[in-house]
Amino acid sequence: MKILVVDDFSTMRRIVRNLLVELGFSNPLIQEADDGENALVLLRSQPFDLVVTDWNMPNMTGIDLLRAIRAEDSLKGLPVLMVTAENNRDQIIAAAQAGVNGYIVKPFTAVTLKEKLTKIFERIAASGVSA
Amino acid sequence: MNLSSPLAIDDTLPTELRDLLNSPDGPAFEQALDVMVRQREQRLFRALGQLARDLHDAVRRLGGELTQEGVPGIVADARQHLQDALEMSAQAAHRSLDFAERMRPQAESLTRNAGQVLEWTNGNDAAAVLAREAVAFAGSCRDGLADMVLAQSWQDLTGQRIKKVASFIGTVESSLLELVRLTGALAGSEAPASAVKVSSQEDADRLLSEFGF
Repeated sequence: MKILVVDDFSTMRRIVRNLLVELGFSNPLIQEADDGENALVLLRSQPFDLVVTDWNMPNMTGIDLLRAIRAEDSLKGLPVLMVTAENNRDQIIAAAQAGVNGYIVKPFTAVTLKEKLTKIFERIAASGVSA
Repeated sequence: MNLSSPLAIDDTLPTELRDLLNSPDGPAFEQALDVMVRQREQRLFRALGQLARDLHDAVRRLGGELTQEGVPGIVADARQHLQDALEMSAQAAHRSLDFAERMRPQAESLTRNAGQVLEWTNGNDAAAVLAREAVAFAGSCRDGLADMVLAQSWQDLTGQRIKKVASFIGTVESSLLELVRLTGALAGSEAPASAVKVSSQEDADRLLSEFGF
């Protein structure tokens, strides 16, 4: 499973990567981008199965990345999990309205990450849509 | 200073005004009224003048303190300090992550090797006891390392706040420069675009005196 981790902080990208590896995902199949713009470039150039993105980033934020993904035919079915320190109601609603698949508030635990990922893949399997 | 005393219409009015109101002499009435209005305006101008002087003094003092290094210098230093803090904390977090990434494969290998030892032994000898302990220890090491990795997210959370403070400093910088520019204009001299240099008190006094302050 190819996963794209998007965060402007290199430490956070590494932390998410570590947790994903710990949960059994393959390390070489995890790629990183430091903002929404660079993420979009990668997403258009090769297929991914999941995007884990931060909200607050320069150039293109996570919510704008999410909207761009949903607006693009070749990407719109891609599961997006937001991992962010933004925890106010309006932002969570905005993410839900933009079609986010999961929302994790930082700081989080490996258990929370596992739960959300499991839920995302269960829903995808149930809806019969391949990611 | 009370500029807005209500205009009384009864005998609390000054005698001068009461006489004037009763006077049949129209031009004299208007002239006297003009004098009174001018007197009130003078009081307002004096109050405004004082305010302008106080503001000018305050900005001049601030400018004097800042000119030693200049606003851009101070702000650049502050930004650099924040950037340093951001980089140092990132380095520290990466060192912890390096450690976790180095130790995890060792814990995994210990689990594997101890498992093999358990397969070779009858399960009751000293080697088996030690191997079981090793498996438990490797497991708790992996859990601890995962917790430590997660704990490094403090760097991201504090770093985001540092970035917000840096952006706030930028806003303060432009507001401060704008204030200095405006007070420079008030004092009748052209404010420099980058360095803080306010005009002299003499300049301000001269300009204000032209307006009758």
